[in-house]
Amino acid sequence: MRVTAPRRDAGAASEPPSGRADRREPDDVQGVYVRSLIRSQLRLALTVAAGFIVATVLFVIAIALVPDLDRTLVVGVPVSWLLLGFGVYPLAITVGVLYLRAASRNEARYRALSEDS
Amino acid sequence: MNPAIGYIAIVAVALVSAVIGFYGLRVSRTTSDFYVASRTVRPWWNASAIGGEYLSAASFLGIAGLILLTGASALWFPIGYTAGYLMLLLFVAAPLRRSGAYTIPDFTEARLESLTARRVTSLLVIVVGWFYIVPQLQGAALTVRITTGLPSWAGSLAVAVIVAVVVAAGGMRAITFVQAFQFWLKLTALAVPVVALLLVVGAGDATAELPPVAAFPPAAGPGDLDVYRTVSLMVALLFGTLGLPHVLVRFYTNPDGAAARRTTVIVLVLLSVFYLFPTVFGFLGRAFAPDLAAPGDADALILLLPDRLVPGPLGDLLTALVIAGAFAAFLSTSSGLVVSLAGVISQDLLGGSVRGFRIAAIVSTVVPLVVALATESAGLAGSVGLVFAFTASTLCPMLILGIWWRGLTARGAISGMLTGAVLSAAAILGGGALGAAAPGLRPFLEQPAAWTAPIAMLVTVVASRFDRRGAPPGTEAYLTRLHVPERN
Repeated sequence: MRVTAPRRDAGAASEPPSGRADRREPDDVQGVYVRSLIRSQLRLALTVAAGFIVATVLFVIAIALVPDLDRTLVVGVPVSWLLLGFGVYPLAITVGVLYLRAASRNEARYRALSEDS
Repeated sequence: MNPAIGYIAIVAVALVSAVIGFYGLRVSRTTSDFYVASRTVRPWWNASAIGGEYLSAASFLGIAGLILLTGASALWFPIGYTAGYLMLLLFVAAPLRRSGAYTIPDFTEARLESLTARRVTSLLVIVVGWFYIVPQLQGAALTVRITTGLPSWAGSLAVAVIVAVVVAAGGMRAITFVQAFQFWLKLTALAVPVVALLLVVGAGDATAELPPVAAFPPAAGPGDLDVYRTVSLMVALLFGTLGLPHVLVRFYTNPDGAAARRTTVIVLVLLSVFYLFPTVFGFLGRAFAPDLAAPGDADALILLLPDRLVPGPLGDLLTALVIAGAFAAFLSTSSGLVVSLAGVISQDLLGGSVRGFRIAAIVSTVVPLVVALATESAGLAGSVGLVFAFTASTLCPMLILGIWWRGLTARGAISGMLTGAVLSAAAILGGGALGAAAPGLRPFLEQPAAWTAPIAMLVTVVASRFDRRGAPPGTEAYLTRLHVPERN
């Protein structure tokens, strides 16, 4: 019994991408749709990543700028520690869910376009 | 501590893992089962398995230890470990699933149409895997020494043997079940003790060693952070995650790209819930066990705290639970890494047979075992963080540019990976000597990702631009395959 890495041509032949993109002529209409899908997905990913990073940085600066948070105790722990320890996760999950929806929307738009033509 | 508790917990986890592994063996018949579980794993199972594999010694023991040792700056570790999955979701999850490749080297070869690029990638994957297994084995050594009194090597050896046997016998299908089980075990093993400790503390049955002002001084608080170190750590953790070989292989078991994304979001949720507990442990440790705040001892905080705060049989039970969870962490991460390493080694060197996979599984365990026995742990969270820095500087630029930039060429990718590897390895390995000579450079050597990752990225782009052979002819078709949604 042998197991090998899937060869390039074999893999592509057994599992063709949908959307009927013609491989030999990338400049045709299907190729344009694919390029625009990739561009919109990349723009989305970069925007979401930047949004998450900026929001986290602002959150941390806010914690650092309010010294009262170090002095206010909740269950024996300063609020500033609690905020940094537990506050970023809800943000990450929210951002992830928003991205999930937007990425599927981009793909739905691509599907609609490529099936119309 | 009563050594019997340690023995019972460790043997129980090893047995349960082996039983589930062999149960899975009956289901795994064909070779593609061996490698990727036939791609039929449901998102929740898959996400639990990813969590089970990902939550290593560094997460289970290291984070609480580091919070105790250094304060709020350690809170960035779990944030980075979790947010790494956000970056993975954004940049690689769906395209990688659609790539049709089993391993990262498969992806490199398919995208760049170059055997040399494949070999360089394989080499990096093996290095990353080996150095990620080492802290797991060191964590096992610490746990066994503290809980049973046996010598440290016994723990490393026990974990290495169990992992080699289970992986060689069962392959990936078995591992998917084992990993999913391990996640829930690890979560329970921290959550139940945390709830119990909070009840005891809340009832006033335990007295804090330090008042809050001394336990949580503003000088170790969130407001007083070293900006360069924090940023560099975040670069390493955010972008290192998406290059981890054992994490990527999990994505091939999703049925399609959209499922890979859903799985990743579930992973984000699971990790966010999990990391609440080591964080609480760390906070409790600062108030109730400040004497453990020493470099070698701090990682044992989670193992020792339940017994200190809850006397009697209940304390013994909680201790057994955390030991079991810790062992689950070492076993699951190491076996996940061994599966992916064995896949790479057997495909590239041993012809890809099942027998080759078994030999490769043993080789993948022995090398890190030797390293773990020969070296001393310098803090679990820290050493895993350095592996992330190495990955972020080598595999990450190649993956991200390979997926999103049609201009990437084989020479560009190889130049970038080698530059990143040399720079980050030199900083990590030579950092001690160089840092002593020039103390001003120390943060940059101890936490190199902030400069090595961008340089690797830049070198990749520039070398690709100057590569007269240009991008491989199949680039357009391959990028189409990566990004176009599957027919449904």
